[in-house]
Amino acid sequence: MSKGSDLDRVTAIVLQEMRRPLTILLCVNALGIAVMVMIPGVEGEGMGIFHAFYFMTYTATTTGFGELPSEFSDGQRMWATVCLYMSVVAWIYAIGSIIRLVQNPHFILALAQSRFAKAAARIREPFFIVCGFGDTGSLLARGLSDQRLNAVVIDTDIERIKALRLRDYSVPIPGLEGDASVPKNLTDAGIQRNNCKGVVLLTGNEDVNLKIAVMTRLLNPKAEIVCRSTSRAHEEELRGLGSVVLADPYETFARELGFALHKPPLHTLDEWLVGAPVNLSNLVSYPRGTWLLCGYGQLGRWLYRSLSDWGVKVVVIDPDPNATSEVAEQVTGLATRANLQLAGLAEAVGVIAATNDDSSNLAILLAARSINPHASLIVRQNSHENELAFNAASADLIMQPSLVTARRILLRLISPMIQELLEYLEEHPQSLSEELLPRLTAAVDQSSPALWTLQLNAQQAPAVHAYLANHEDYQLGHLLRDSRHRERPPEAVALWLRRGAQRLALPPEDTRIVTGDEILVCSSQTARGNIHANLSNPYSLHYLATGEELPRGWLMNWLRAPAAKTR
Amino acid sequence: MNLEKVLFGFFIVLALTLNVAFVVGDIAVPDHHNIWLLFAAVVVNLIATILKLGDRSQTGALLLATALVADLQLIASSLIWTFADTTAGLDALATATIVSLAVGALVANIVSVTLLVSDTLISGR
Repeated sequence: MSKGSDLDRVTAIVLQEMRRPLTILLCVNALGIAVMVMIPGVEGEGMGIFHAFYFMTYTATTTGFGELPSEFSDGQRMWATVCLYMSVVAWIYAIGSIIRLVQNPHFILALAQSRFAKAAARIREPFFIVCGFGDTGSLLARGLSDQRLNAVVIDTDIERIKALRLRDYSVPIPGLEGDASVPKNLTDAGIQRNNCKGVVLLTGNEDVNLKIAVMTRLLNPKAEIVCRSTSRAHEEELRGLGSVVLADPYETFARELGFALHKPPLHTLDEWLVGAPVNLSNLVSYPRGTWLLCGYGQLGRWLYRSLSDWGVKVVVIDPDPNATSEVAEQVTGLATRANLQLAGLAEAVGVIAATNDDSSNLAILLAARSINPHASLIVRQNSHENELAFNAASADLIMQPSLVTARRILLRLISPMIQELLEYLEEHPQSLSEELLPRLTAAVDQSSPALWTLQLNAQQAPAVHAYLANHEDYQLGHLLRDSRHRERPPEAVALWLRRGAQRLALPPEDTRIVTGDEILVCSSQTARGNIHANLSNPYSLHYLATGEELPRGWLMNWLRAPAAKTR
Repeated sequence: MNLEKVLFGFFIVLALTLNVAFVVGDIAVPDHHNIWLLFAAVVVNLIATILKLGDRSQTGALLLATALVADLQLIASSLIWTFADTTAGLDALATATIVSLAVGALVANIVSVTLLVSDTLISGR
């Protein structure tokens, strides 16, 4: 058998299933016609082949229509009765076969696959393949849709794919039920196409993730691989594939929590960039002192390390006495009221409920509040479904490992420059992030922020390219202004600039832009549209730079030329 | 206020209004359609086309396209008038054809004015 496309497979299944019913229909009709021709009519002559064919056609499909074209003889009537029963049985059989075919699971699967491949092939913009549509996967898909980035989803669970189809995304996100480690499914998703920018591996099984990563590297060496991973052994293997971005949900969570406690502006900025509803002007800061950490599993370990690195004193409460050898202070047992008091909650500044069970976390929260109402409460939410209960618990900070991971991956997919920016801000004094926040708020003004990359090349910004070729320089601040209100400050904030190997953090307004620059910009969605329109409009660009309108058209140019000369 | 924009807008809108002036009336009655109006419409349309030449923006390209369509239809219309007038005289059939072509040009002119207005509103300066 040839290794044809899904469409070929669908056709093949239809042909195979319909072969027998069609043959039977054909035989019944041929027999009916042949005998009908032979039987003599009222006038003695039998009907011709054409009339017999006409008779069989209307008899078979309508179970009788009358005696046409002329009245029948008794012999013909007898045969007509036989034909009628024969053809009814044949038709019922054929129709039954069609219904069986439509219900055939292989047929349904082949059809779904071919639809998915077609939907994926329709995507012309850069897109990502998301393998695994669990909590993290669905949060990521939502984020991608908010940023108007295209994606396709593969998951082994049909229920999740059905759920995906019901979502109202701003861009179409086709989903396929299937194993993403099967190369056929990856090629259907379009992994070998040029606009496939990357593959995100979020299946629950680390072995499957590794397998998909290997397939991806083989099928498309240029695609970026972003993989959720919690096991060190797998990370080593994944790193061996080259240019793999690893996202450990626990490590990310611990890092974010560290920022939330010690670098609130950076944490707020990070949250705000991914569209979380945070208030930039109202920064939460946490008191310094002893923290109680309830639960010392994989996440607890990361949290302990992260908090210890920041120099925070942590008391761990965990039922397993052996798991916590590296911990200085520990209370062995479940995080009950008594144990919380034993661990010194009355003097502690806060509690982190980080077990992998949502109801225990909520119970810890309630117990902790009744013992020490002033303590800050940070809670880990495991399942996205429990959102309402957690919101009602009014903790100071709710953190979901899946959400944190999805955001980290989303920022990475929007632009690798965001990571560079965040690392830069992390290394520099906190005042830098504090200054940036009001600038961003002013530029975006209430609406949800859009993070995008301004690429100053000949394809994406033809007018800028032409301008730079003719004139000496153009300032970044001019490019980011609204062409209707030149006098107003820029409506977008440039966060990061890449020029070859050069990097420039928070480029100032008077930066001279050069063809080939890549600039990470944060603005409102409207401003993004305006700036994009200017990139290909030479008149707007010139107006923004100089404040004067260029004459449009040759005639006006020619009329203006002598005036310019005399000036 | 920009004198260039006034001039540009003036000719584009005048092309539309003259076109309307020629077209109104019963389609097949020669007396309802003054040939001098057609002449003026052709001239003003050609001027508008020349003004639109050489605009490098997206809207500029579309504006030029509409102007070319209007020119084509109006010139075809005046050619038919010349032919009919010099041979059999203006009958109902010839008049209907001339006016129909002018109506086509009218549509192109409406598109042109719509583009001009919306571009001005969007760019806002």
